[in-house]
Amino acid sequence: MGLLTRTRESAPCTVTISHRFEELSAHVKFNNGAKIYAGDSVLVEGAEIMAPYGEIVREDRTAIITRASGLERAWTRLTGDLEFMELCEFSFSEEVTL
Amino acid sequence: MNVQTPEALNGHASGTALHGTNEEMTSEKATDVAMQDTLLTPRFYTTDFEELDAINVETVREDWDKLIAGMVADPNKGHFKKNEDWDTVDWDGMEPALKKEFIDFLISSCTAEFSGCVLYKEMKRRGSNKDITQLFQLMARDEARHAGFINDALREAGISVNLGFLTQQKKYTYFRPKFIYYATYLSEKIGYARYITIFRHLDANPEYRFHPIFKWFEEWCNDEFSHGEAFALLMKTDPNLTQSWQNKLWIKFFLTAVYGTMWVRDHQRPVFHEALGVDVTWYGMEVFRKTSEISKQVYPFTLDIDHPRFRKGLDRLQDANVVIAEGKRQGGIMGKLKTWAGTARAGAAFFSLYTIPVVHNDVPDSPMMAPAY
Repeated sequence: MGLLTRTRESAPCTVTISHRFEELSAHVKFNNGAKIYAGDSVLVEGAEIMAPYGEIVREDRTAIITRASGLERAWTRLTGDLEFMELCEFSFSEEVTL
Repeated sequence: MNVQTPEALNGHASGTALHGTNEEMTSEKATDVAMQDTLLTPRFYTTDFEELDAINVETVREDWDKLIAGMVADPNKGHFKKNEDWDTVDWDGMEPALKKEFIDFLISSCTAEFSGCVLYKEMKRRGSNKDITQLFQLMARDEARHAGFINDALREAGISVNLGFLTQQKKYTYFRPKFIYYATYLSEKIGYARYITIFRHLDANPEYRFHPIFKWFEEWCNDEFSHGEAFALLMKTDPNLTQSWQNKLWIKFFLTAVYGTMWVRDHQRPVFHEALGVDVTWYGMEVFRKTSEISKQVYPFTLDIDHPRFRKGLDRLQDANVVIAEGKRQGGIMGKLKTWAGTARAGAAFFSLYTIPVVHNDVPDSPMMAPAY
């Protein structure tokens, strides 16, 4: 990881979507054990994935991981906390009027 | 957890309108709202997973095992099913303004549950400490179940969700573990207080229950309550998290920011609260009262919500928010100036709230509580 340079790598991944009454969830798992760090970006290649209602869909895909530069990583670690309000639930969107 | 994403607003409306839609809220438009609000573009987080892994729950082992056993037993497993209590909803007959606000409520709530699930699952996956991974797995299960239940209510309204974010570029931001504890602890407890207050109100005044989903709020919020208990225990494992002066300032900051944001957002949805027969100001104060009472289990102080400057500060915050929104809508230089003026006023209001002296509290040795409201 350079101070200013980003690097790219590809990783095999499995996308799992549960679109059922008892569970709505979606997860991407890297099958080569790749780990994501602050400031990295991930792009799962290929067409959009959606499970029909009532089903679970699992698809193997390739993900492109763009590793943040050293500076970006430091910046994300420094400023990420300021976005903490995202973690809170308020029942409504922030739009003043709908 | 509610994730706001200003970027990636390219709406991919999926599915078609089923029934009960009107011009104000077509499936496409609602999907756009979802895109803006998060469901389809949740944010992704990393944290210091090594720090999480290093947590030792031995100091709270007895309480911890009890809590986990209760979650493993999963008393709510059979609860989230539609039975004869799920009345038919007259979406066509619903007043358009109410429908808009109610759908905003459903989408935002679904998003919050969904994002919670993503975060908890990630924490489960990256960790190796069995206590911690088991907890996050159980919480992810509950959140995904809640999201599925709300999603079903949305489908009834003719709105389908789109998970297109999965194949879009996602950037991972970073939160220190302690920020996750402070924010999610409060979020879960305030969520409990919000749901139970509405549930009790509608229990006493069923004529205001305009949708059956409110009947499910009681068990639902018990899940939120136990998630909050888990974060209370996590904070108990390291006294520094709630006792050092820096962390006390952070806790006060989180309390003020969360109460303030909730106040502003609720006051922006007058039709929803009117339909429920709830005075939104009364509701806000009631939720603060319950949350403050509960948070005494782990926080060494509560905000002085009865201080004369408290209500005034909240109202100023809300007024400032309206000014900011007007400025943004107006655009141009004048709009920009208005937005800045609004932001300055919001900052001043927040400062005024933040500097109200707190009410001290002696934290009990064991934080465990039962949902009692």
